[in-house]
This record gives sequence, C-alpha cells and structure tokens, in this order.
Amino acid sequence: MECVVQGIIETQHVEALEILLQGICGVHRDRLRVHEICLKNNPNLGNVASEVRLLCDLEQPEPTWTVKHLGGAMRGAGAEQISVLVRSMVESKVSKNALRLFNALGYKLDHELLRVGFAFHFQRGAQITVTVSSVNKMLKLHATDEAVPVTPGIQLVEVTAPASSENYTEVASAVSSFCEYLAPLLHLSKPGVSTGVVPTAAAAAVSLMSDGGGTTLFSPHTTRIKTAGLAWSI
Amino acid sequence: MAAMEGVAMQDQSQQQQQQQLVPPQPVAVERLNQAVVQQLNLEAVKTRAISLFKAISRILEDFDAYARTNTTPKWQDILGQYSMVNLELFNIVDEIRKVSKAFVVHPKNVNAENATILPVMLSSKLLPEMEIDDNSKREQLLLGMQNLPIPSQIEKLKSRIDMIGAACESAEKVLADTRKAYCFGTRQGPQILPTLDKGQALKIQEQENLLRAAVNSGEGLRLPGDQRQMTPALPMHLVDLLPVGDGVHTFSDASGMYMKNTPPLSSNSIGNQGNLLQASGAQLIGRSAASPSAATSATSFDNTTASPVPYANSPRSGTNMMNTPSPQQQQQQQQQQQQQQQQQRQKMMQLPHQQQLLAQQQFRQSQMQGLGQLHGQHQMQFSQPMGHQQFQGRQMASGHVQHGIGQSQLGQGNQLNRHLSQFSGAANSALFNAAQGTSNSQMIPNMSATVSSQSLLPRMQFGLAGNNPQRSHASQMLSDQMFNMGASNPGSMIQQQQQQQQQHNTQGAFGNMQPNAQNLQSNMVALQNAQQNHPNFAQQRQQNQQ
Repeated sequence: MECVVQGIIETQHVEALEILLQGICGVHRDRLRVHEICLKNNPNLGNVASEVRLLCDLEQPEPTWTVKHLGGAMRGAGAEQISVLVRSMVESKVSKNALRLFNALGYKLDHELLRVGFAFHFQRGAQITVTVSSVNKMLKLHATDEAVPVTPGIQLVEVTAPASSENYTEVASAVSSFCEYLAPLLHLSKPGVSTGVVPTAAAAAVSLMSDGGGTTLFSPHTTRIKTAGLAWSI
Repeated sequence: MAAMEGVAMQDQSQQQQQQQLVPPQPVAVERLNQAVVQQLNLEAVKTRAISLFKAISRILEDFDAYARTNTTPKWQDILGQYSMVNLELFNIVDEIRKVSKAFVVHPKNVNAENATILPVMLSSKLLPEMEIDDNSKREQLLLGMQNLPIPSQIEKLKSRIDMIGAACESAEKVLADTRKAYCFGTRQGPQILPTLDKGQALKIQEQENLLRAAVNSGEGLRLPGDQRQMTPALPMHLVDLLPVGDGVHTFSDASGMYMKNTPPLSSNSIGNQGNLLQASGAQLIGRSAASPSAATSATSFDNTTASPVPYANSPRSGTNMMNTPSPQQQQQQQQQQQQQQQQQRQKMMQLPHQQQLLAQQQFRQSQMQGLGQLHGQHQMQFSQPMGHQQFQGRQMASGHVQHGIGQSQLGQGNQLNRHLSQFSGAANSALFNAAQGTSNSQMIPNMSATVSSQSLLPRMQFGLAGNNPQRSHASQMLSDQMFNMGASNPGSMIQQQQQQQQQHNTQGAFGNMQPNAQNLQSNMVALQNAQQNHPNFAQQRQQNQQ
C-alpha cells in the first residue's frame, strides 16, 4: 500500500521548490530519469483488464527495471476524510527481461512516458519520497531521446510513502503534515483532484531564490546600504 | 569603601605571604571584611554554584541518554534548559564581579611555576594579532579624518552612526511592508496581490488537467496504431530487449518464447484448437509494432495440395483408410485453420501457455501430417510452437519451403536432450540431417526454432490417453495424431524418418524403435500409425488398438 498526493508547480518555480525541499528534508536530491512503460492486457472472458507498469531507471549507469502494480484506492467514508490517497501498490525489482515476459504474457503496451526531474527520499514520520518531474511523452515508440513534455510550463510534484494496512493512518498524517510545509509554493491533493497553482507561489519562490541566506545584511561596505539611498562618502 | 577594603585586604594578604614563608607557624585565621563578606554572600554563591553544577550534569546525562537510545531530542526543551543554565551562570558571575575588586589576583606570590606566565597575565597590552586587527579597524574608521582635529573627527563619526541607524530603520520598514503585502504567516490569499487573471488561470487549469490525466491514466500518451512504428534507433536500455525491425526471423525470439512448462493440461479441450500461435502472437501484440501478421494471415491455405490427414486412431479413419480424406474433412481443416487465424488475436490471451503450445503443436502436426501424406513423404516433425509471425501465414501455404526446419529440429532436439536425457548426440545430428534431407519437401510448413520440449513430454502421455473415441471433430483427430507424433522421443523419430526415407517401411521402423521403447511402445505404435502410408493402415490400426 502507499499514500500518495500529487500537485503541480510551474516550471519557473521548480528551483525554488528544490531549495525549499532541500531545507526541509535535509538530504540531497537524487536525479530522476525514469522511463515508465504501462502495459495492459486485454480483458477476455469477462476478466478485468489489468495494468502493470515497468519502470526503467535510466539514471543509473546500468538501467535498472522495476515492476509496479497500482491497485484500487481505498474507498469509503474513512478514505474521504484522509487528505491523501491510499491505494494498494506492489513493487519489485526485475531483470530487463520483464518487458519480454509481459509481452509474452499478453500485456500490450498501453502508453509510456518519461519522467525527468529530481527526487528526495527522507524519513519524517514515514519514509517519504518527493519527486518533482516533468512528464514527457514520446512521439515515436520508445524514443526516449526525443521525448517532449506533455505540458511544458508545468511540472508534476508527487509525494508518496509506503504504508501497510496497520499504519496507513500515521503515514497519511505524516505525509499531510509534510505537505503543509510546501503550502507557500504548491497545494497537493489526491491524484485526480485538481488544485490549480497557488497565488503565493511567485512571492515564495522569489524569497527562496533571493540571496538572503548567505550574505550578511549590514556590513559597512555592502551595496545594500548604498541602494538604500545613502551615500557613504564623507 | 571598596578601596579601603581593598587596602585592608592587601595588608592581610601581605601578612599571609609573610606567614607563608614560615610554614610551621600556626596560620592566622584570616577574616574578610565583614561588609565584603556580606556582599559576597559566600554561602549563597556556593549553593548556587552547586545547583548550577547539578543542572548541567543532569542535562549532560540527558544528552547521553539521547545518544544511547538514538532518539531525537526535543530541541525546544533543551534550549529552554540551556537558557536557564546560562542565566544562572550569568547571575552568579555578576554577583561575584561586584566584589571582585576586593580581591587580588591569584597567584599571590611569584615562584618558579608562575614566573613565566605572570607577565603575560598581568599585561594589558594586546596580543600582536589583536593589535594589528585593532589598528586596521581604526584606520578604516578614521579614513581621511586623521588630519582633522579631534572634535571634528568625533562629529563625523557621530554622523556616520546616525546614517547607519537610519538605514537600518528603513530596511526594517521595507521588510515589514513586504511581509504584510505577501501575508506570510497567513493562509488566505492576499487581496492586494494581483491574482492570476482568469485567462491565465484557465490555461493553467487546462494544462494541469492534461498533466494529471497523462500521469494517472495515460491520456494523450497513447499512440494510434499507425504511429506505433518502432523507431530504428532504440534507446540503450531497450536495444537488446525488443526485436529490431519486423519480419526478422531471429532466434532471440525463440529464446524469448521459450516457456517453462507446468503440469500438463488436458489435451482434449477443443478450445485449444482455436488458439494458434498464441505464444508468438502474444509477443507480436505486446510489441504493438506494425506487424506483418496481418499481411501474412492473408495467405490462404492452399486447398489443392492439402493432404489427407491420416486418422489412424479415429473411428473415421477406418472407413477412409484407403481413400484420400474426403474434401469435407479437408475443408474442415482449412476452414478451421482460417477461422482460427482470424480468431487468433481475440483469443490470444485466453489460455495459458501450455494449452496454447499444445494447440499450436496440434495444428502444426496436423498440417504437417496431412501434407506429408499427400506426397508420400513424411517429415516426422516435432510440432513446435511458432514463435514467429511469419509462420502464421506459412502454415497455411503449402507452397512455402521451410526455412528453419532443420535448425528448429536441431534446437528442439537439444532441448529435448535436456529433458528426456535419452537423446544422444548422434541422434541429434541424425535428426538434423534427416530434416535437411527433406527440406525440399514443399509440404512442410515453416517452423521457427521455438520449442517447448517440456510441454511435449507430458503431452506424450496425454497423447496416448487421448486415443479415445471422441473423434467427432476433424481437428481433434489431427490433434491425436499430433500427440502421437509429439509423444515420441527424437530418437524414435529420427529412426522413423530414416526408415521412411529409406524404405517407406513401417515394419522396419517399428523394429528400430524397440531400443527406445521405454514406456513408449504404444507411442511408437501410434507414431507409426501416424506416419504410415495408406497400405499399412490396416496393420497400424490393429496395432493401435492393442
């Protein structure tokens, strides 16, 4: 199982978000370049079509493959009260023959996408992973080198945390309290619920990107005093 | 008062010094001046010092515990405790400072130990580095002012200080204004701040919906079928995974198609018949590349050269022994095959692999047998699952020369070797040669190298079991044939082939099989039956019915 929320952020503010995340999470970012291949098998004889995702991590020197299955989300009154989406998720590392295996099993390529961005993995009440990535589509089959963004001006922010049926409430609250920290820049919601951009995003980005962190403000010879309109000459 | 007290103290200290020079003498009890004593309040200081010491040691113990248990300390509390301790220390030091004038510096006398350090301790001159620092700062400060008289220097310095103060104030004001404007700390959107205009907001909303749909459900990412051309330059991580180009008859496909078998399935399921080339088709479909299978499926079965299927084990075969199979039967075969092809994709995933393979094999065998019989030449072929899309069409086309049959048989032989472990190397090559020898036969459909030998073996058993009177369907009869043929081990096959090629004598073949008859006796018989020419049918039939 996993708890997941998604949000969007304008591409111009991504750098500010990275700074914010670095400060909150305390770890360095990992680059992210994942080729996600979504396979579906044809429903036959009344079976439900099942979907499986193959993720190929292209950032490693040797591409590593993972197979992932996303199940249905938790439903019910309790689920509606939780601000994150809780759904079943099974993930495993596989060898590179997974694609052939699934093709042989009858899974056809449904769609594929390429995520390029960065991710933060850290522990804060739960093992949380934040990925900020631009989602790219391929115009030609499997042409990852020629992928173009689906939405050039907007990137996707996803916060996920693995959970089990016993502790999902704690994990959900950990994720939602983490999301509070990101409130100045973006709002996160369950996948499928649209949020829009946050009005304070621009200002928050500016303040995060400004140089206020490193330099001292009032040393005798900084330009800040000068820009305040005071001459220094005697 | 303090000075006088200081003098009194010094007198006392001098006395003490003098007294110290004469150690054995009883030490005069010194008493501090009462006022000083009161002000100093030694007892209180001692108590406070001790309590401070206890507090600090307690905090250190807490830290120790944190370190040992690896928990995250509550920084709020720790900072609070630290500030308390700090304040307490400050107070104590302050108190003592008030009365420190009454005391002289320790050490009270100069002796060998402190002779060297005393001058340093007592000096008021700055350390060299500090002195340089001090000088440079002073220079900076009084830049250009050293010439002027002192008061004017003072004036200038004062004005500088005022300017700095003013700058600080204005900066603070700006900060406060910005904070208010952006409402940091409040959650509501500010009214002053220009919100995104409607148009922009709409655009962003659209984009957002696109993005979310793409990520969560793949909308907008699906290429229509005609655009699903595999790019010739595959990325590195896919290069050796996907077959490059279409119509390439590669053995990599074969290896990909090799399916591990699980317990054998019933061979009598009619449904098997409808699932040809499932395994290979799966790969095709999985690629979703422009597959020529559509094209190949257009090739139709050549009716004219269809051979009668030797229904040696079926009730019908008894009546048709001497005749070519009725056109009806042939028709049935063909129709069936065509139907199967058409239904192939739809039923692609219906059955598990074994059944699919089974069906394939059955069909292959049936085709093969029919065709082989017609021309009086047998290719005892292991039915193999067709891993290649081209085969779809080819199985129907009787006019195609088989390409990979030799290799496929060889490959199959190798695999069988693993599993049956009866197969000698000689037999392998013999099989290969036999296949090569008959490659000019146009009847044998093309076969790829994919073999599922494991699945064949269990079918062996089933082949025997399947010789029951359920022969209503022509294809089933074919399947029985196939079973029989598939059941044999390659050794027997080879021998049979050789025999047949040489002699067309079934009796001889039967005789050759004896060495290999490990529970395959009946299989052999069945095989023979399958392969026999018409004249021998009667005999076979009898044998078969043993």
